[in-house]
Amino acid sequence: MEHLIPIGLNHYLTISALLLGFGLFAVMTRKNAIVVLMGVELILNAANINFLAFSKYNGGIGGVMFSLFVIVIAAAEAAIALAIVINIFKIFKSVDISSVDTMKE
Amino acid sequence: MHSLIQLSIVVLLLPLLSFVILIFFNRRLPRRGDFIGVGILGTAFAISAYIFWSVIVQTYDPAFRVAWDFTWIDLGKVPGIGPLQIKMGIVIDNLTAIMLAMVTLISLLVHLYSTGYMAGDKNYGRYFAFLGIFTFSMLGIVLSDNLFSIYIFWELVGLSSYLLIGFFFEKDSAADAQKKAFLANRVGDIGMWLGILILYSQFHTFSFEQIYANLAAGKFAMSNAWLTAAGLLLFMGCVGKSAQFPLHIWLPDAMEGPTPVSALIHAATMVAAGVYFVARIFVLLTPDALHVIAFIGAFTAFMAATIAITQNDIKRVLAYSTVSQLGYMVLGLGVGAYSAALFHLVTHAFFKACLFLGSGAIIHAMHHEQDMRWMGGLRKHMPWTFATFTLATLALAGLPLTSGFMSKDAILAGAIGFANVEGGGVYYLIPALGFFSAMLTAFYMGRQIWLVFFGESRTHLKPADNHHHGHDAHSAHGAHDDHHGAHEVHEVSWNMRAPLVILAVLSVFIVYSPNPLDGAEGWFMKMIRTPATVVGPANHNCAALPAQTTSPLMAEALPAVETHVATDAHAVSEVEHAAAKGEHAFADPRQAEIAHAAHAAHFPAIYISSIMVVLGISFAGIVFVFRIIDPDKTAEAIRPLYLFSLNKWYWDEIYQATFIKGSVLLSKILSWFDTNVIDGIVNGVAVLVRNLAFANNSFDKYVVDGLVNFTAFSVNTTGAVLRKLQTGKVQTYVALLLVVLFGYFVFYFTRLIY
Repeated sequence: MEHLIPIGLNHYLTISALLLGFGLFAVMTRKNAIVVLMGVELILNAANINFLAFSKYNGGIGGVMFSLFVIVIAAAEAAIALAIVINIFKIFKSVDISSVDTMKE
Repeated sequence: MHSLIQLSIVVLLLPLLSFVILIFFNRRLPRRGDFIGVGILGTAFAISAYIFWSVIVQTYDPAFRVAWDFTWIDLGKVPGIGPLQIKMGIVIDNLTAIMLAMVTLISLLVHLYSTGYMAGDKNYGRYFAFLGIFTFSMLGIVLSDNLFSIYIFWELVGLSSYLLIGFFFEKDSAADAQKKAFLANRVGDIGMWLGILILYSQFHTFSFEQIYANLAAGKFAMSNAWLTAAGLLLFMGCVGKSAQFPLHIWLPDAMEGPTPVSALIHAATMVAAGVYFVARIFVLLTPDALHVIAFIGAFTAFMAATIAITQNDIKRVLAYSTVSQLGYMVLGLGVGAYSAALFHLVTHAFFKACLFLGSGAIIHAMHHEQDMRWMGGLRKHMPWTFATFTLATLALAGLPLTSGFMSKDAILAGAIGFANVEGGGVYYLIPALGFFSAMLTAFYMGRQIWLVFFGESRTHLKPADNHHHGHDAHSAHGAHDDHHGAHEVHEVSWNMRAPLVILAVLSVFIVYSPNPLDGAEGWFMKMIRTPATVVGPANHNCAALPAQTTSPLMAEALPAVETHVATDAHAVSEVEHAAAKGEHAFADPRQAEIAHAAHAAHFPAIYISSIMVVLGISFAGIVFVFRIIDPDKTAEAIRPLYLFSLNKWYWDEIYQATFIKGSVLLSKILSWFDTNVIDGIVNGVAVLVRNLAFANNSFDKYVVDGLVNFTAFSVNTTGAVLRKLQTGKVQTYVALLLVVLFGYFVFYFTRLIY
């Protein structure tokens, strides 16, 4: 098992960058508002992984606390965002965000 | 304050009160308020007579003088001028007392006379108001103790004269005459004011006393020529007011005024104001200025006398006679016969007022006929007028036993004495002109008496169409009936007769002097003494003499010195002599010499002038009474001379051709300058401003507005571009955010690497 590379900081950062990439991809390409929200969650979790990885790497509890905060706020954010989506659906009869452009011009 | 000063202030203000009452309320008063004018003047005369009595009769002191003044305007220290303090004051000396009584008396008599003469005039009340303000101004001149207040009253006299000459202003000739008088006086007054300013610039005071004190102390900083100029400029005021040669043209035309006004203003008082003023400034006149004054006076006397002999209007003859007599007075002052000139002023005032009032009575009786050619034979119809007019005529001609004889001879004796002292041949011209004018005076007055009072009535000879003034009814009378016109002539009523009698009585010698041949023995010449001059050679001689006598090097100057000494010794002995006789002592040797020579010339003057007067009267008799020489044929024979005199030496035409045409031309040139140059400049500026405004407008429109619009446009355009970015699609914003972030990273890392 010695020739196997031990799991280090770079692995976590790589996972986190992939997650960020997927999240951004989802936010920018999906039309469904709920999928876009899911992309946002992915980005937040990518950030959480970064916090935890750096926390483990540096020691101390600051990163862990920060990621806990992010999880809590992400929960609140999801609640608000889903409420907005429901309202959008009520007005536009759709959750396609490309059709929600009445603020244009 | 001296009680006489208080009384004189009352006298001064009473006529003003009369003016104020009559000018505002004459229509509400019975008889248009004429009794107020007469009554107030009567009071003023009574007070003046009291002043005269206490000064002349009771005090009887040649040096009597009381003065009082107060600060009227105090401007403090004016930059560039110095202390400027204007005082008003009153001085009463013998001359003032005499003038005060004379002016108020003649004014009273003229007021009284006017109640008859002006009766029925539609502006009757206003007439008396004007007489009141005139009397006020004249008394102001008489009482003033400084140049400033005398100048104010001088102008007031000019104004009231203007109002009274143009009293019948509906007539064009009267309106023209009043303007002429006013303008001619203005010319003189400008000179007078300049003279006052020269003296003020030196001494910072207007007061006579202080100016003379400063002059006597030798504080006049400028050259003697300036002093002569100051004297002559002040004399210009007299030239205007007293109608002396260059400005005499207004006085004959002033006869357009009512005849009592002519008597009061243009014969007795206002024209005498000029002479009075020269007498007041007499002591500051340098010998050079006095020579000029003497020559102007002599020339005026002669010229006016030659004009008077051919005039046909009864008042014009008297007007030119007045100019001539004023010339005598100025001549008298010029030659240094100070008291004689003032004596003539007073005597002339009385007999000339009498003549004018008499001519007014004649004109009144003849229904406003003024032309002597159509008079005649009035002696029987108007005995009172005839008697008084004749007496005054004799006084004017200068026959013995009259006042005019004494005063005129005193002047002529002074002129002879002056010519003797000056010694030059040309100076004998002055007495020669004087004597010749005396003969002419006798001649033209003889002519007037004869034409008016003697012979048969010539009313019917008058051409009917040659009728410019007067009543239409009268011309009809003259045309159809020989005697009808003469029958209408009646003696005037008592209120016009009484002034004539009083004035005629005042023309008799006994009023002035017990000796009919010598005015110097009378109270007048004793009370009015020649004042000691404050300028001239007297002061210089005294200073120069010791230096010359002590210097041995100036041997050749000795004869001159000796004559000086002789002269002075002579003067000194003269002074002692005079002092011994209780007569006037002169401080100035030149004055003493002239007075001495004049005294010596007294009897020659009497002889020559008597011969001249007799010659003049007999010549008038030969021509007009016995008709040995026919006047009309003679006039034809010497037609150029006759026309020269009839047309008043063509002075009016000369002035018309020079000054009036000249000023019209000048005004035309100035008008051209105004329309073309001044207006051109103004219009040019206007055009310039308009063009500038257009340019400004364009700048505003294109540059300023352009900037504003460009800003708006660019904002608009930018907005339009940026609006495209506002897609409303969340993903676009995210994409943009990423691009920007990426761009930032690129920038940041590029900075890190380089």
